[in-house]
Amino acid sequence: MTGQAFFVLTALADGPRHGYAIVGDVAELSQGRVKLKIGSLYGVLGRLAGAGLIEPDREEAHDGRLRRYYRLTRDGRKALAEEAELRAATASVVRARLGRRGPQVAG
Amino acid sequence: MTGEPGLEQRYRRVLCLLPGYYREQWEEDMVAAFLDSWLTGDPDTDERVLEFCKPGWQEVASVILLAGRLYLGGAGAPRRYFAWGQAVRYTVLALLMVHAVRGLDGLRLVFLARGLHPVGIVPAPPAAMAPVPGIAWPVGAWYLAGYAWIVVFAALVLGHYRAARGLAAMAAALDLAWLAQGQLTGALLSPYGSWAFWMLHDLVPVLAMAAFHRDAPPVARWPWLLALPATYLLVAVPELAATATGHQAWVPDLPGQSCILVAVLCVAHTPRALSGRAGTGVWSLTLVLLAAAAAAYRIASFGDYLQGHYLQDPHLINVGLAELLILVAAVALVAPSAARAQTAMPAAPLHPQPG
Repeated sequence: MTGQAFFVLTALADGPRHGYAIVGDVAELSQGRVKLKIGSLYGVLGRLAGAGLIEPDREEAHDGRLRRYYRLTRDGRKALAEEAELRAATASVVRARLGRRGPQVAG
Repeated sequence: MTGEPGLEQRYRRVLCLLPGYYREQWEEDMVAAFLDSWLTGDPDTDERVLEFCKPGWQEVASVILLAGRLYLGGAGAPRRYFAWGQAVRYTVLALLMVHAVRGLDGLRLVFLARGLHPVGIVPAPPAAMAPVPGIAWPVGAWYLAGYAWIVVFAALVLGHYRAARGLAAMAAALDLAWLAQGQLTGALLSPYGSWAFWMLHDLVPVLAMAAFHRDAPPVARWPWLLALPATYLLVAVPELAATATGHQAWVPDLPGQSCILVAVLCVAHTPRALSGRAGTGVWSLTLVLLAAAAAAYRIASFGDYLQGHYLQDPHLINVGLAELLILVAAVALVAPSAARAQTAMPAAPLHPQPG
């Protein structure tokens, strides 16, 4: 799972969100490191929907336009949990190794 | 109001780059999200934003990249786009194989030549290829690029797309350096053909490697890996035999070999193409793309025949025209099947990777 997909799924973990809200949430979750453009966002949303990990939730009118909300499916929630476990396990290995040698800087 | 298209219209124009089926499903949502990213909630400011602002280049680039991935479809894409995606992927592999064959030939020279070049892993250049006496690096770069293309081909077949892309860009840059050096020193014997080769076999494949995205089905490894030595033998054995028997003049030049090789493949594929079996259309479409590349290369090389070293031999143009005719006749056999490929293919299996 790519970093973008992981952040998008995480943005939807606590409830449905519309496109621009996902962009904002991803930027916040990644501390500004991942700034999704709309074309990239919908590329990711299309793949996640195709894989059955997210689905449309509802549409709401806003300033004369319809905002479509997306939510995690059961499979999406499971995939996100597994990915989070994997990343957490990797992070603890990294911390343990750094702990043994210390965060030395080359040079 | 100025009568100029507003922000929304401008963004919709950009979205026209996307395939129709995709726009039907996602366009309104994309427009809503895009406008949300601009609007502030202040009526005066928003009015000015909607009237005068334009989508940034990064937004446009993200849509172009998305469009590229959708047109060169992978698993789950509509039949037409999946067929194009597969045909472009096969074409890229075939074009890279031409480079890899060149690399294999360089290795053969390394093993056969008595004297090795000072660089050590490139053969001593033939006298005709040394652009400037005493300056060996361009020829060395040419051979090294040939070896790099073997690795690019193998990496792509084995699924290491990112590594293949990076290495291909470097190999293309090496080839470009070799070409530019020859051009600047006036040592390039066939500039039209050489530049056409670089554009068709270096630049185009490097750009078209975008078709190897996350949704692309994996390449059939063994057939493609075995195709490399088979193609090498197909090209090298007749050439060596002709040289050994004193008939070297009968060996076509590289553009001619490309035309004849693609024509032979078209003829060999024709029975399958006519059978209409599932999946044959993609190969027909691939052969049409390869034929277009070979024809463009052949036509560009005529520029060399009309000037400089080859001026004394107009016979070469007649031979080149004959090769083009053979190619066109052969491609006509598979063209109907290629046209059907966009509608008659079975749907691609839906196994998309998340993200």
